[in-house]
Amino acid sequence: MRIISQLMAIPGVIAAGEYAFRGDRYSFEGNMTDELARMASILCRSNTLAVNMQAEIFSAFSENCGCKPVQGWIVHGKMMSVCVVGNFFCFCQNTPGLLNDVMTILRAKVGDIEENPLVYMYAKLGGDVNEKLY
Amino acid sequence: MSLDQLMQVPGALAAFQYDDKGDLQAHQVKEGNELTPQVLDLLAHTCVANMAIATMEARGWEALTGQTGFEPVQGFSLVGLDWSAVVGRNHGVVVKNRDVDYEAAFAALANCGA
Repeated sequence: MRIISQLMAIPGVIAAGEYAFRGDRYSFEGNMTDELARMASILCRSNTLAVNMQAEIFSAFSENCGCKPVQGWIVHGKMMSVCVVGNFFCFCQNTPGLLNDVMTILRAKVGDIEENPLVYMYAKLGGDVNEKLY
Repeated sequence: MSLDQLMQVPGALAAFQYDDKGDLQAHQVKEGNELTPQVLDLLAHTCVANMAIATMEARGWEALTGQTGFEPVQGFSLVGLDWSAVVGRNHGVVVKNRDVDYEAAFAALANCGA
């Protein structure tokens, strides 16, 4: 299943999309017009470039500080959040548990979670997660 | 809420407090990581800048689209390779990505502003 469709399957996710780092190409699903998705793509791309530039500056102070390369960013609003990892974005409501689930899926697909995301998500419960799941 | 309590957030590596300009006021760092006061000060400045940009974008987005719920911006997180910096108004916490709970971190930071 495509990552965007996976995100849209979660209740509370308003819209999710993918943008190109160069150019204006983008794709999306959810409650958003094509023009809004284009604007969201531009906004997310420029913010991603900005935080990458900031990480470059951090690394000048501390080479192995652990922030580079940046995976993404989150803006946490009053009732809505915008999550970006790599070149994917997701607009979601601030319902309990949703932000962590969205970030886990995004990071599993384009970030740094190498093992099965289900194992990662259930690891918070403690114990032998593999035994419980499989 | 104090920095001691922010350090109780799952995976916390450092907690810090900064003024409205981003100058570091106080900090706590867990032993064994490379987060120096200099890096935290720089991080605090970028967080102030990113919160201001996010507020500008949220305000513009709401005005342009009619969608609501973004303002006021409660927090911002920079997700790095090994850790994430999660910040509220004048406090921030750096959490290990392996153990991160973004919602717990944002909730703890909201209590700092209360």
